[in-house]
Amino acid sequence: MKTLMTSCAAAALLATGLSTATIATAGAQTMLDGGESVDMVLLPKFLGILVFDQANEGAMEAHAELENPGELLFLGPTPENSVAGQIEIMTTAATQGQGAVLLSNNAGDQIVPAAQAAQEAGTRVVTWDSPIPSGDGEDVFVAQVDFGSIGVVMADMAHSILGGSGKMAVLSATPDAANQNAWIAAMEEALEDDKYADIELVDIVYGDDQAEVSYNRALALVDQYPDLGLIMSPTTVGIQASAKAMQDEGLCDQVRVSGLGLPAEMVSYTMNGCAPEFALWDFRDLGYLTYYTAYGLATGQLTGEIGESFTAGRMGEYTIEEDPSREGARRILMGPFTVYTSENVEAAAQ
Amino acid sequence: MMRALSDLNPQTLRILALLLVLALVVLFFATQIDNYVTGRLFNRISSSVAIMALIATAQTLVILTRNIDLSVGSVVGFTAFATGSLIAGFPELHPLLLVSFSMLLGACFGAFNGFFVAYARVPAIIVTLATLALFRSALVEFADGRSITSSQLPQWLTSFPNTRLFEIGDFQFRAAFVVAIIIVIAVHIALQRLKVARKLYAIGSNPEAAEMAGINQKATVFFAFVCAGALTGLAGFMFLARFGNITVVAGLGFELKSVAAAVVGGVNIFGGSGTVFGALIGAVLVDLIETSLVRWQLVSEFWREAVLGMLILTAVALDAIVMRRLVALRAAKHHEKREREVANG
Repeated sequence: MKTLMTSCAAAALLATGLSTATIATAGAQTMLDGGESVDMVLLPKFLGILVFDQANEGAMEAHAELENPGELLFLGPTPENSVAGQIEIMTTAATQGQGAVLLSNNAGDQIVPAAQAAQEAGTRVVTWDSPIPSGDGEDVFVAQVDFGSIGVVMADMAHSILGGSGKMAVLSATPDAANQNAWIAAMEEALEDDKYADIELVDIVYGDDQAEVSYNRALALVDQYPDLGLIMSPTTVGIQASAKAMQDEGLCDQVRVSGLGLPAEMVSYTMNGCAPEFALWDFRDLGYLTYYTAYGLATGQLTGEIGESFTAGRMGEYTIEEDPSREGARRILMGPFTVYTSENVEAAAQ
Repeated sequence: MMRALSDLNPQTLRILALLLVLALVVLFFATQIDNYVTGRLFNRISSSVAIMALIATAQTLVILTRNIDLSVGSVVGFTAFATGSLIAGFPELHPLLLVSFSMLLGACFGAFNGFFVAYARVPAIIVTLATLALFRSALVEFADGRSITSSQLPQWLTSFPNTRLFEIGDFQFRAAFVVAIIIVIAVHIALQRLKVARKLYAIGSNPEAAEMAGINQKATVFFAFVCAGALTGLAGFMFLARFGNITVVAGLGFELKSVAAAVVGGVNIFGGSGTVFGALIGAVLVDLIETSLVRWQLVSEFWREAVLGMLILTAVALDAIVMRRLVALRAAKHHEKREREVANG
């Protein structure tokens, strides 16, 4: 514990020295210097989900690349204790004097007091995947893709699968998941365009990101709306469970499935036509970029001001900007994402 | 009416009452939801209850002995995942071996619970609350970020639950449902007829008397937990076969549903009385209400859990009040009859 504190103090000293230098060059592009010691915590929604492990792999890659002698911990709550567990890990990270917490938030605004306390203790809070809705207690959000553009892409996939007209329903994760709610809102906005006039969004249901709940919800949708043409599921658990449910009941001819999914998990459903199109971004890249951002902030090489640019290793240049979907909050936009069809899904699934 | 009813065995009466409630629930939702009463409804409920019926049966065995098992959800999740990993690694494995593996693994979890409850004398609610978290964390550790997907599983396994054995009109009787029903009936008969199984009732209704009668209380409670574990393991196998995609959250929340099914089905939470057949109908009722609420537009997503909770509470409270009345009526009648006999004799 003592050594940890000393290394942090050293980092803090370095930070003050360096931040003056960065302010002077604000607006220009910052090349991050490796080799500084800073301890960080990567905090996913909960442990045991493939995409979060992929994000961790990306962060580990960046950790090695920047030759940070400090420690990168992958700490997450167990699934049944996600909200309370996240708050607890955030609080502990602050008392331990961690340099930064890299958070995929599943606790809504309930995490704000803990996150603010962490910031006051000198810990940087960088969110990724799912932000803090109010933006309070958060330094910057590393957005996988523009939340508005996810809405357009989902509307476009619906348009192409339904052939321009038909009924669709949304099967989401939990009712209070900040990222999914923002994407659905963006899709509803996109659907107002004349191009989608004949597509009707009939219902939004929630499968709690559990395979069994999502599976049953998907079947309930089909029973409720006999002329449903598409289930749009903006979650990797929901899309897979829906596709399985449609396949099991022999309904793939009538009801297609689309949304956000992992190629490795969706390949069979895309090839047999149950889920002809879906999209996703690279979670390894997301972890990698988040690590670079957090490292820059925690070592003081970045201040987190709007307009500040830096180079994130192999991924190139990124700029901190205002978050258009959350007033007063800041984001770094990763993008773009890939739409998978029978053409490219097999290669991506390898 | 009450008089005629009071002649019936309380357990039979309870099952009749449950069937009546079931019919009322269906009638109610039929007026609220379009395209409700169809063959599909039967197919949905029967497919999904196949898993919960086994877990509710397991829960009943434990509740009968005045205990409770809150770890069932974690055991289902772990066995489903472990069974999936095993068959993904050895696709040629014989189906019977795979089922045995699931049941054995479940039985091990049950033995773990049973040891602490029966021999270390820790209250079951504490032991299984701890193992609920413990087994789930073990799964997170074991899974190590991987998940099981249906593409890793052999064809026979994923097609088994939905295989149509026979059809009556639009009602499809699928393999998973039929297997679950057969197991429930087998356990039901065993509990009524087998001496070793009757001990569960004896211990639940009066532990001291059971001990005096020479029943080994510790061994019996341990036995109940092991059997429950094996049944839960089997449910894990069925879970894997049905959903194919297993992550670390598999089976989350099953403890609540299984206890609800058992208690709504008339299993006395203080032990000693109840039937697995009742628990089966309880499971159907809970599943029916849940499925219907999803389709009932009046109730928003945020209120569904609350409505389910209220319905369970109402069902149990009503059941308790009506049952107490009936039992009192029966006792009074019995007393009357005895007095008449005494007067005549």
